[in-house]
Amino acid sequence: MTESSPARRRGNGVFVLACLLPALVLFAVFMIVPTLNVFRMSLYTWSGFSPDMRFVGLGNFARLLDDAQFVRAFQNTVALLVVVTVVTMGTGLFLAAIMTRQRLRGRTVYRFVLYVPSVLSVVVIAAIFSAIFDQKNGLLNGTLRLLSLDGLQQIWLGDQQLVLWSVAIAMVWQSLGYYMVLYMSGMASIPEEIYEASALDGASAGRQFFAITLPLIWQNLRTTLTFFVMSAVNLSFVLVRAMTGGGPDGSSEVLLSYMYKQAYTNSSYGYGMAIGVAVFAFSFFVSLLVSRATRREPLQF
Amino acid sequence: MRRSLVLVSAAISALGLLTGCSADGDGSGSGKTTLSVAALEGGYGRDMYAQVIEAYKASHPGVDVQLKISKSIEDEITPNMKAGRFPDVVVLGQGRKAALTETLIKDKALEDLTPVLKAKVPGEDRTVGDKLIDGIVGNLNTNPYGTGQTYTMPMYYAPSGLFYNKGLFAQKGWKVPATWDEMFALGEKAKQEKISLFTYPTAGYLDAYFFALLADVGGEQFYTDVMTYKQGVWQTPQARQALDLTTRLLKYAAPTTVGYANEQDFTKNQQSILDNKTLFMPNGTWVVGEMKDAPRAAGFEWGLTPLPPVTVGGKRYITTSVESVWVPAAAKNKDAAKEFVAYLYSDEAAKIFAKSNAIQPIKGIASGLSGENAEFYKVYDETTVEALVGGFASTAPVEGVDIKATLFDTANSIISGDKTEDQWQAALNDASEKLRQAGG
Repeated sequence: MTESSPARRRGNGVFVLACLLPALVLFAVFMIVPTLNVFRMSLYTWSGFSPDMRFVGLGNFARLLDDAQFVRAFQNTVALLVVVTVVTMGTGLFLAAIMTRQRLRGRTVYRFVLYVPSVLSVVVIAAIFSAIFDQKNGLLNGTLRLLSLDGLQQIWLGDQQLVLWSVAIAMVWQSLGYYMVLYMSGMASIPEEIYEASALDGASAGRQFFAITLPLIWQNLRTTLTFFVMSAVNLSFVLVRAMTGGGPDGSSEVLLSYMYKQAYTNSSYGYGMAIGVAVFAFSFFVSLLVSRATRREPLQF
Repeated sequence: MRRSLVLVSAAISALGLLTGCSADGDGSGSGKTTLSVAALEGGYGRDMYAQVIEAYKASHPGVDVQLKISKSIEDEITPNMKAGRFPDVVVLGQGRKAALTETLIKDKALEDLTPVLKAKVPGEDRTVGDKLIDGIVGNLNTNPYGTGQTYTMPMYYAPSGLFYNKGLFAQKGWKVPATWDEMFALGEKAKQEKISLFTYPTAGYLDAYFFALLADVGGEQFYTDVMTYKQGVWQTPQARQALDLTTRLLKYAAPTTVGYANEQDFTKNQQSILDNKTLFMPNGTWVVGEMKDAPRAAGFEWGLTPLPPVTVGGKRYITTSVESVWVPAAAKNKDAAKEFVAYLYSDEAAKIFAKSNAIQPIKGIASGLSGENAEFYKVYDETTVEALVGGFASTAPVEGVDIKATLFDTANSIISGDKTEDQWQAALNDASEKLRQAGG
C-alpha cells in the first residue's frame, strides 16, 4: 500500500469539498437563511407584503403571553403530543411484540391492514374520519346505535370537549402502523437464543418483553420517539386544518394552525413568525427532554 | 489548474441548481404590453374570463393578456408577490379565508382606482361611474379608508340573506315571518314537526345575517359605528338587542349545526334545508350552483328573504356581497390595468359575464335576468328593503385579534353552551376597542 502525500490528501479534501459545495449552498440558501429569517421577522410587525416593517423587539413574544387563543393552542398541542405519543408508541410496541413473538395466523394481513393508513394522504384520512365521526350517519355513532348504546352517541366534531380527542384518534390511526413496522424490524433482529434461554429459565412472555425486547430495541425507541414527537406537531396541523379548521370556536386549534391564521389571514406575519419561533423552541425543548429522559447505557447482543 | 477547474465547475453546478429554481421571466420583449390578470375561479366558472379576455384582445391588439385563474388564486400569486412580482389586475373579493385583499388594504398597497370611475368605458360613451348602480361604490367595501378614493371596484354583486324552501312553506301553509315574534312562533310550530328553525353552513356565513341585523336594529349610522369600531359600540342597547335576538334564534338551531360547521361537512348543513329538516340558513346566491346536484324534497324551490324587521314596518337591509377587482400599487402596467378594468364594465363584457350568472352592478342588468336569479334580485325591488354593502373597516393588523371570528365563531359556543351572551358581548367589546386603537 502506498502512503498518500500531504499534497494528494489536500487534493482529495478539495475534491470532497467541491462535491459537497452544491448541497451546502442549497442547504444554506433554503434551510439556514429562511430559518434565520423567521427569527429576524419575529422581531417585527409586518403583514408579509408591505415594505413597511416596524421593529418591535421582543414585543411579539410579550403579546403571546397575553394571548388566550395562543395559550389554548399551546395547551391543545401539548395534550395531543402527550396522549398521541403515549398511545401510538405503547400500542405500536405491544402490537409489534405480538406480531414478532406470537405465531399469529394471518400475521401478514394484520401488518398490511395496520400499515395502510401510513401511506394514505392526510387529507384522505381527514375525509375518512369525518365520515366515521359523522353525528348522524357515522360509523362510530352507527355502531353505538347497533349495540343499543344510544346514550353514548356524541357530536364528535361539534363538542368542544371531545373534538380534540377525535383528532387524536385520527392521528393515532395514521401513525400506528408505521411505528409498529419499525419496531418489528428492530425486534426481528434480536437473536432467538436469548428468548430460548430465558424461556428455559421460566420467563413469561411479559417478562421477556420488559427484560429482553425493550432494552435491546431501546436505541430504536429513543430515535423514533424524538422523530414522532416532531412529526406529530406537523400532523396535528394538517389534520386540524382539514377536519375542523380549528373549531368549533377555536377549541381544536393547535400551535401551527394558529400560526397559520395569524400569519396568513390576520395579516400579522411578524406575530406568526414569533409563534413559529415558539414552536421551534418548544420542539427543541421536547427533543432535549425526550433525549435526556430516555438516556440509558446501550445494550448489545 | 485542475483544482481550480474542479472548484469552478462545482460553483457553476451550484449556481445552475439555484437558477434552475428561480422563477420564469415576464415574457416581455415582443413590443406588446403584457397584462397579467389573476382571478378567483368561483362559482361562475372560468370560461367567462377566457371569453372576456379574447374579446378584449380583439379590440386591443397592442395588449397581450395572460390569465392565471384558480380556486385558490391567493396560493398561486402570493409567493410571487412576496418576491415583488405583482399581477396587474386581480379579481378577488374580501371575506376569503386567506384575506389577501384585506391584507393589501391594511398595507395601503392598492392602486387608487377613482380615475377608473371617471374614465369612459372603452368603445362606449358613458363613464364607468355612470354605468354603476347607485350606492355600490363609496362604501367601506370600495373605499376602505373612508375617504373619497375608491380602491376596489365592485365586480359582481349578489344578495345574501336567509335561504329557505318555498315549496315547504307552500305545502305547510306557512308564511315567511314578517316580524321576529313571528319568526320565533314559527320556530315553535316547526319544532312540533321535528323541523329546526335555523342553521348555518359554517359560522363565517353569519356575515349575511349579522351585518343586516345590526343595520336593522340601529340604522345605518349604528352599523357604520360598529364597522368602524366606535368606542363602546358593543355596550350599547342596540348591540345588546342584536345579541339577544341572535342568542334566542340560536336556541332554535338544528342540533347538527355545530358538528357540521367545518370545511369538510358544511354542505351537510345546507342539505338540511333541501331535506326539509331546517327552515332558514344565511347564504349567498352561489348556494344554488353549489347544491345543484344534491337530492331534495319533492316540490323544492329556493327562496330568499331578508331578516324580519326589528320594528314593525321598519326598514330592512339585505347584505349584498360584492366581489372586487383591484390593481396592486406595485403592478408594472398600471395604466393598461386601469383600462382593462374599465373594459370589464362594457356591455360586451357584461353580457359574457351574465351568461355565467355573474351579475355585475350595472344599471338595468337585473331586469334582463331569468329563472331563480331573477327571483333573488327581486328582493331589491321591495320598497322597505335596502342593499347593505361592506363590512368591518380596515385597520393596521392587531396581533391575535380577529373581530369577525369573535362575532361569528362564538355562535358555535352559544349553541353548545360553552359561552354566555355576556362573554360574547365582552369579547366583542374588547376586540373592537383594540382595533379602534389601531386606527379603525
